[in-house]
Amino acid sequence: MKSKNKVGIIDYGAGNLGSIYNAIKYLNVDVNIVSSPTNINKFSHLILPGVGSFGKLSDNLKKKNWPSKIEKFVKEGKILLGVCVGMQLLFERSDETKGAQGLGLIKGHFNIFNNSTKFPLPHVGFNEVKHKNTEIWRGIENKSPFYFIHSFKIKKVKDKVVSSKTNYGGEFISFVEKNNVFGSQFHPEKSHYVGLRLLKNFLEIKN
Amino acid sequence: MIKKRIIFALLYQDGHFHLSRNFKLQKVGDLSWLINNFGFGITSNYIDELICILVKKNPSTKDKKMFFKDINELRKRIFIPITLGGGIRSVKDVSNYFNNGADKILLNTSIYKKNLTNKISEVYGEQSISIMVDYQKNDRKEDHIFIECGTKFCMTLPDFFKKINEISFGEIIFNSIENDGTGNGLDLEIINKIPTNLKKKPILLMGGAGKPEHIANALKKNIVSGVITANLFNFLGKGLEEARKNSLSCNINLANFSSQIEV
Repeated sequence: MKSKNKVGIIDYGAGNLGSIYNAIKYLNVDVNIVSSPTNINKFSHLILPGVGSFGKLSDNLKKKNWPSKIEKFVKEGKILLGVCVGMQLLFERSDETKGAQGLGLIKGHFNIFNNSTKFPLPHVGFNEVKHKNTEIWRGIENKSPFYFIHSFKIKKVKDKVVSSKTNYGGEFISFVEKNNVFGSQFHPEKSHYVGLRLLKNFLEIKN
Repeated sequence: MIKKRIIFALLYQDGHFHLSRNFKLQKVGDLSWLINNFGFGITSNYIDELICILVKKNPSTKDKKMFFKDINELRKRIFIPITLGGGIRSVKDVSNYFNNGADKILLNTSIYKKNLTNKISEVYGEQSISIMVDYQKNDRKEDHIFIECGTKFCMTLPDFFKKINEISFGEIIFNSIENDGTGNGLDLEIINKIPTNLKKKPILLMGGAGKPEHIANALKKNIVSGVITANLFNFLGKGLEEARKNSLSCNINLANFSSQIEV
């Protein structure tokens, strides 16, 4: 059954968008890749993907006037998901690029993991996610494996926005949610059927 | 903790997927054959990653286009990390492979090209580079590394280990040409030859896995973080499921994808 939802994937020079596009197509939901914020009113859901550095992607967003448009989209109660660096950009800043600004939709910032031979960086591969059973986790076992590739983690954030945790030389926050804003440090589009299920749950969240 | 991995490799040439035995290729079927016979989406619950290799000596732009076209079709039904390789000779090639859906790129012949891995790493990070070392023993039982689809001698394994610090990479795959396609088991002896400075990177073994036990026996070794099989007949369909279940039952630290998820 085709839902009435319409998803926009923000194209802002954040690497290859094919996988997340294919995943949403696979879920039989209308999806477009959007490279300018002029027409985002028609979308019920937006995805901010991200492979690259925080600073460069933050600049790219600004150049095309995305920040204020995304903020408006969220204020209207529409649904937003940031993935990987896209998740990091939901916050205020990251130690990866000093001085660069995130969207500031969630308070907090990112710092690097403690590097060690036992826990090399980047943290890459499948790791277990222990979640809080909120709506977006419906039908997903605790703990489930998701695919990670990153070197930075949230330093400090309010407890109520923490939606899942993962262990890599200590616990870190792997998924956040604040009302209609969601952020995934892992790549659901690379995480088998369990990742598709998470995306499906996201697409079923209504404003 | 990061999990160990079972990886499937697809060997592609001229519109067809191939079986390989001691690096001699045998054509088995095209993309629709692969999808119809193996329901490729479903098998993805039993592997951690997929590697697709264009196994052709010095492939042309046309060869690569055909390869990308089929891989892009495959990507519509498989949602796991994908490594693409075969024919990468420059940073420009790398960008092309990433634009065609690679999460990581695989280097073989170009590993030994001066500074190339460092240049790739500067742009994409070393985690994005998998290097595959094809090796074989000579008459005197010395390990030799070959390039260009196993056709050309490159250097000895000890010489390569001396140079390892000059190469930028995220993980290393040891692919035994002698064991390739035999189904007699992986070469576990190679593990004892690996120098300490290499052990901080993920080490993967390829060549010879014919039964689930072969995979489990390799993954039981602390130093081995993954096993790769390219055997379409032994391991697609039920074979991969059995291999994964068997390894999990041996308490190997693998991600458990087996839960019934409805999408």
